[in-house]
Amino acid sequence: MTSKYLSVFKISFQQEFAYRLNFVMWRVRNVMQFFLVFFLWDTVFSDPNRVVFGYDRNKILTYVFGILLLRALVLSARAVDVAGEISRGDLTNYLLKPINYFRYWFTRDVSSKALNLGFAIIEASVLFLLLRPPFFIQTNFPILFGFLLSVILAILLFFSILFLVNMIAFWAPSMGWSAQFLVIVIVVEFLSGAIFPIDILPNAIQGILSYLPFPYLLYFPLQIYLGKLTGAAIVKSILIAGAWSAVLLFSVNSVWKAGLKHYAAEGR
Amino acid sequence: MADKNRDSEKAIIVEGLVKNFEVVEKKQGIIGAFSSLISPNKKIVKAIKGINFSIDRGELIGFIGPNGAGKTTTLKILSGLIYPTSGFTQVAGFNPWDRKPEFLKEISLVMGQKNQLWWDLPAIETFELNRVIYELSKSAYKKSLNELVSLLEVGKLLNTQVRRLSLGQRMRLELVAALLHRPKVLFFDEPTIGLDLVAQQRMREFIAEYNRRYKATIILTSHNMGDLVDLAKRVIVIDKGRLLFDGEFSELVDNFAKEKIIKVFFSKGIDIKSLETIGKVKKLDFPNVVLSVARTTAAVAAAELLQNFPVGDLTIEEEPIEEIIRKVFRSGKVIKGRKNTK
Ligand SMILES: Nc1ncnc2c1ncn2[C@@H]1O[C@H](COP(=O)(O)OP(=O)(O)OP(=O)(O)O)[C@@H](O)[C@H]1O
Ligand SMILES: [Mg+2]
Repeated sequence: MTSKYLSVFKISFQQEFAYRLNFVMWRVRNVMQFFLVFFLWDTVFSDPNRVVFGYDRNKILTYVFGILLLRALVLSARAVDVAGEISRGDLTNYLLKPINYFRYWFTRDVSSKALNLGFAIIEASVLFLLLRPPFFIQTNFPILFGFLLSVILAILLFFSILFLVNMIAFWAPSMGWSAQFLVIVIVVEFLSGAIFPIDILPNAIQGILSYLPFPYLLYFPLQIYLGKLTGAAIVKSILIAGAWSAVLLFSVNSVWKAGLKHYAAEGR
Repeated sequence: MADKNRDSEKAIIVEGLVKNFEVVEKKQGIIGAFSSLISPNKKIVKAIKGINFSIDRGELIGFIGPNGAGKTTTLKILSGLIYPTSGFTQVAGFNPWDRKPEFLKEISLVMGQKNQLWWDLPAIETFELNRVIYELSKSAYKKSLNELVSLLEVGKLLNTQVRRLSLGQRMRLELVAALLHRPKVLFFDEPTIGLDLVAQQRMREFIAEYNRRYKATIILTSHNMGDLVDLAKRVIVIDKGRLLFDGEFSELVDNFAKEKIIKVFFSKGIDIKSLETIGKVKKLDFPNVVLSVARTTAAVAAAELLQNFPVGDLTIEEEPIEEIIRKVFRSGKVIKGRKNTK
């Protein structure tokens, strides 16, 4: 049983290497994004003593570095290809086999995460030597445990959001890409904390966001790691993320069942 | 639900199968796109309109019909890919739509233009992955792989990146991937499409051999009559979602081959007009003439020709199979074969 998905992991890894250039471009994009955010904040904090929205230069640097690593773990995913597989009819290949499609893609996501995390660590080390931001190592065990839990939930959340968006292709085969762009590139980037920490926003907006799944992808896990949340707040954030994961994973399952009835295995 | 034991000798049962596709008509332009979002103009395509047949274990069936007849749709339903609108289907004792792992391990669907091989990796990687997906033991896998590789002569191609292979080479490797788990029920959808004549012949031999060796039940669709003449004793003909014929191939020929073809080579000039009294002139390329005559009077017609005309050479032939099938399609009538009368 596990050996099935171990093999999927291996072949997925090989596949990434077949597309070395793509992968390198993707990493370059990530580093560029890092620089974009970094220099944006760097100009805001040109005076090292200035404090904006409760952040000074060092704090924001730590945040941006944390995001670089966390992105690789949470937002690297191969399941972006699902919409294409549905609309091209390639889904047929999996439906004919005794394999669980979700586990298959989750495994491929995990292999992508492993590869990306490896590269992100190397990139972060180089950038670290160049920029010398203050480094923060969390040593409190309960907090680390909370962080781990929140990252696992973030991974599940992103997986289900990605799947839900991709499954639009069952009903609107040509919409797959635009839906993906809207939700994954725009909404997730802005509301997850990838570009700015959520707590620079007005309190009212923060309040609303904290009941949406998006900030639980990057912002909350990182806040937990950085020790910005206290015990009760950590528990609350994990509970909300957990509730969202349950709701979304359940939706994925029912949308999938409905989608399959609609599936026509087109493209011959 | 049909009783499993009662039908244990049946590999495939189809009763009253109906499939309607719902298509939303796209209107042009931005306004059109909006209006079809708000009030979609839905149209129902009736692809399968209630068909019945059953197939015994180990049978090899030709499934024929003109474009759009519903062949591919039927095969997709039988392999659990698409949801039937209504009707009963049972394959290898399972309801295909449940897609139980035990069911999926028993079947395979091979489509001429569909590929499962990982495009950027050598085929052997896909095979290895299929080994674990189908939970084959190492030894069963080795045995199966070796047999398929030697039958299909693909030993030298296993380690080449799939994208670098020719269509024919790729198709053979696709076949290996589809058959590694030794399916008992096989659906071939136009397996010889795009292959050259030698490769087509090889594919046919392979299908026949697989059927014989593993007692596999096979349904084969093809527009290539050569495939059917060689392979299928029994054929099922469908058109516009309806079953036209189900029975022995020879029975179909008897029913529709009402004529025979006489090919004559004349040694001297003749009066073409007087030929018309003997049979229909189908092709005139003097001194070669092709006549078609009623089956029952073929011998008489030939004798008459030999007596009254300067005949150099003469042969009597059956109508080409394509012609017969065309007639079946054109008639659009349901013909009672042995199978559908019972
Ligand atoms: N996904 C779909 N949506 C709407 N209509 C469809 C769909 N798939 C098939 N059809 C229609 O159903 C009918 C049967 O199609 P099918 O592909 O089964 O034909 P076929 O017998 O395999 O034909 P061919 O010999 O051309 O392959 C056709 O009228 C086709 O247009
Ligand atoms: Mg077809």
